[in-house]
Amino acid sequence: MMKANMQVDLLILGMGAAAELAAIYAHDARPDLNILIATKALKGKGGCSRMVQGGFNVVLDPGDSHEKHLMDTLKGGQYINNQDLAKALVEEATPTVKELETVSGCFFDRREDGHIHQKAFAGQCFDRTVHKGDLTGIEIISRTTEQIFKRRIPVLEETRAVELLLDSEGKTVTGALLFNMRRGEFLVVEAAATLVATGGGPTQYRFHAPGPEKSADGIAMLYRAGALMRDMEMIQFHPTGLIVPGSVVAGALLEEGLRGAGAHLYNGEGERYMLRYAPDVAERATRDVVSRSAYLEMMAGRACPEGGVRIDAAHLGADFVLKNFPGMAERCAQFKYDLARGMVPVSPSAHFFMGGGVIDTECRASLDKLFVAGEDAGGVHGANRLGGNGICESCVYGRLAGKSIARYLGKAENRSIKKTKPGLAADMVARLSAPLSRATGTNPLHNRTEIQESNWNKVGVVRNKADMESALGDFASLRKDVDAAAVSGGAYNMVFNVHLDTLNMMDVSVMAATSALQRDETRGAHTRSDFPEQRDDYGLFNTFLWRGPDGLPQWEKRAVEFKHKSLEACQKHKK
Amino acid sequence: MQNNHLRTVKIFRYDPEKGGEGHFQSYSLDIPQPEITTILDVLLRIQKEQDPSIAFRFACRVNMCGSCGMVINGREGLACKTNVAHLPSGQDITLRPLNHFPVIKDLVVDMSPFFAKYEDTLPFFEPIEQRSEPYVIKPDTKERVDIAMDTDCIACGCCVSSCTMVNNHEGYAGPAALTRAFTLLADKRDALFEPRLTRALDSCYNCRTEFNCTEVCPKSISGTRAIKYIQRLAVTHLKDIKPLPPHPAEEKAKNDPKPKAAEPDTPCSCKCHELPDPSRRAFLKSTTGMVGLGVAISLTGILGVSAVVPTLADQPAQWVPVGNAASYPVGSVNTTMITYKRKQAIHTETVNVPILIRRDSEQDFICFNSSCTHLGCAVSWDPTTKRFECACHGGAFDVDGNVIAGPPPRPLDRLPWKLENGIIMVEVV
Repeated sequence: MMKANMQVDLLILGMGAAAELAAIYAHDARPDLNILIATKALKGKGGCSRMVQGGFNVVLDPGDSHEKHLMDTLKGGQYINNQDLAKALVEEATPTVKELETVSGCFFDRREDGHIHQKAFAGQCFDRTVHKGDLTGIEIISRTTEQIFKRRIPVLEETRAVELLLDSEGKTVTGALLFNMRRGEFLVVEAAATLVATGGGPTQYRFHAPGPEKSADGIAMLYRAGALMRDMEMIQFHPTGLIVPGSVVAGALLEEGLRGAGAHLYNGEGERYMLRYAPDVAERATRDVVSRSAYLEMMAGRACPEGGVRIDAAHLGADFVLKNFPGMAERCAQFKYDLARGMVPVSPSAHFFMGGGVIDTECRASLDKLFVAGEDAGGVHGANRLGGNGICESCVYGRLAGKSIARYLGKAENRSIKKTKPGLAADMVARLSAPLSRATGTNPLHNRTEIQESNWNKVGVVRNKADMESALGDFASLRKDVDAAAVSGGAYNMVFNVHLDTLNMMDVSVMAATSALQRDETRGAHTRSDFPEQRDDYGLFNTFLWRGPDGLPQWEKRAVEFKHKSLEACQKHKK
Repeated sequence: MQNNHLRTVKIFRYDPEKGGEGHFQSYSLDIPQPEITTILDVLLRIQKEQDPSIAFRFACRVNMCGSCGMVINGREGLACKTNVAHLPSGQDITLRPLNHFPVIKDLVVDMSPFFAKYEDTLPFFEPIEQRSEPYVIKPDTKERVDIAMDTDCIACGCCVSSCTMVNNHEGYAGPAALTRAFTLLADKRDALFEPRLTRALDSCYNCRTEFNCTEVCPKSISGTRAIKYIQRLAVTHLKDIKPLPPHPAEEKAKNDPKPKAAEPDTPCSCKCHELPDPSRRAFLKSTTGMVGLGVAISLTGILGVSAVVPTLADQPAQWVPVGNAASYPVGSVNTTMITYKRKQAIHTETVNVPILIRRDSEQDFICFNSSCTHLGCAVSWDPTTKRFECACHGGAFDVDGNVIAGPPPRPLDRLPWKLENGIIMVEVV
């Protein structure tokens, strides 16, 4: 079942914005590099960058400043961001978005005077979100994928990474074990540098925004390889996931720009409840606040008949909605909702990992020869990500990673490939393919549902200690179920692919619950019913986490370093 | 009790380990809410509830990635964008892989040929100059108005599957690649105008303007419009079109010692997915023939040639029996196949066509020609929605044959009828 080894200079896992920009910039800096991209989907078709709707936060206007964007990002993150990473994000966003146009050929929407248009998003003191209609990701990923074609960078399609490979000391990443879904074959690719940029996607929840193909692969692989992780309790729920009973579309988003443009939210009693939770900004509060409020309304028995709350954009005028949000209107119309003229039922939907692998501004992770960019990395967004900072992070850090890796591999001593621990890959293959030779066992599709229900009910939008401890018990038993899976069939085996997904979902579920139990307060995306207040005299720390010898996470809390902006400055900032 | 929500779903199955031609497998699925159930939901439910072995491809599930293109009841579409209620309720749901692509398994095709052809037209931006600031371009400039939303193509392959030419002309890049070429040719920021135009034009002349690509595009992009735009450029840029040295990216590929990224996935050799779709493909071919004939007729008219040209209008009408009037209950709508011989020029052919019979009272019938007035596919009666529906492009007609949805330009044609000794007869040509 295993193919012979391949060796390259740079192995890139994933093919979203972070991965593609890393490939483009590494190639352009050092055209002699042998780069190989491995993606779970077809070329440029997987992942969440493509699904970006609203847009990309960036400072372009003379009236705006990096200072303001940074303050919005830190305020949005409730102060626990890594300030170096947040500062690089806002400063590098400006050249990154310009180069998306001048190098990759994107064309974002223009103002009437011909300059790039920037629209309003929640939680920001300036309208700085660059976009292409309301389906911005298609423009970015279509154009950057073409640039990969142009550079003839080889891509392994429908070939997902399943484990990172290590040397005998376990301190250096030597490449990755990949699985070719089409052929049902594993293969080993060794590399002088490995970039993990698979994207996250918290699909371990019943209701989730990313496509069901996502399963936090990169984050789980980093953890299993022993990389240092952070902020894993911080999982963003987007407030406006579409409710479509019985459909896989459920949880797909209605973009933030609707709230930015002035859409209202109503509970089942017809009350505009956000006026109660956030009197100043109402629906334009940050996602953590809006999601939490919706969930509390639902829990208080004030849900709409469909089970969530309702978004009303119709009061903005049908023409306005159809002109500015044609993609959203079409998405609603497919399920018999009229966004332009009526209310649409929505619910909080699991959306994004603020946590992930620990990196520096060069995208270096805690293991040698390992780089991480995009949603797989943690620290940029703190406790909550602003809408429009997600694709921003993927593009900015993909570009930085490409440049950084080219510099790294430019040194002859770094260009060599370390020897993988003998037998490591073979052991992994034996363990991973065990379900294929089992005659009877559990069903991966069923296991996935169980994981999703447990997370949704016990480690969801609003959490408490007892539920999370109970969830950890569930996870221990679910882990046994996942390990006992039985799958039949050979090539293009979708159920086996789901089995591989559940292995990763298990690890991120345990990480999230473990980390969440360390934070006895409510902050950003982490809401505790047993500790409903944010406690700035207690909570200004990050939980760092790594895999212990027993396979379970070990952790350490470290105080936030207010390197560029003081706590007082962050607290005082008003959007 | 009969379950009204039960639908038959026929899925094309091909197992690469067994080889062969593939076959259709039928599943019966309860679909209580067809208005909000997508074909992707149908597949996921069958996989979960009945048969974990079926293979299909999807990623985003919200019309943004273009991974789930397939042929749904004879028409290309995205599984995630097609709801069950978009299909006539009386019909089975038939799902097969995109045409022209090698099948990997079941509904999963190898898209490599798509991207290989895509690259024919240099489908990537090459900046005309190095600069740090984006261009100032007003949104109402002609260039941007022309490009419109055509850069929103998600490369799903539906257009290529629907095209009857792309598989028969090796040099034809097809609608998706030419659409991208068009958006770049119109983009003043791009440096590859001349080589791209040369390559694209070479390709464009294979288009037969059938509009299939335009009909099926899930993003409402018209490949036909893009192709005609490129052809018009030939008029204004004739002097620019000359053999050119290859683009640096091509040169680079030749000399590049990069690792071969594994061997290509060589999927099945089965031809089953290439079998013509009985309803539409056959029809499209015949229409093309008729269009050609029409052109020939008008040309002869213009040239003033007085040779006798056989035309459909010259056909003698004839009365053909449909069936015993007693077998058509009052208040019903039925479909009956009729068979008759028709002489066309020097050729006599046997015609088999369905006729739609509506009986309003003892003495009152209405007989419709079942050909959709759009492109002639056979329409069928849907007793649930009480409409005549065309599976090809979504046309729908009310019980009187009036257009209520889709592209048909006029009501269904009515056929003269009479009763003779209890037998209903219709007049046809």
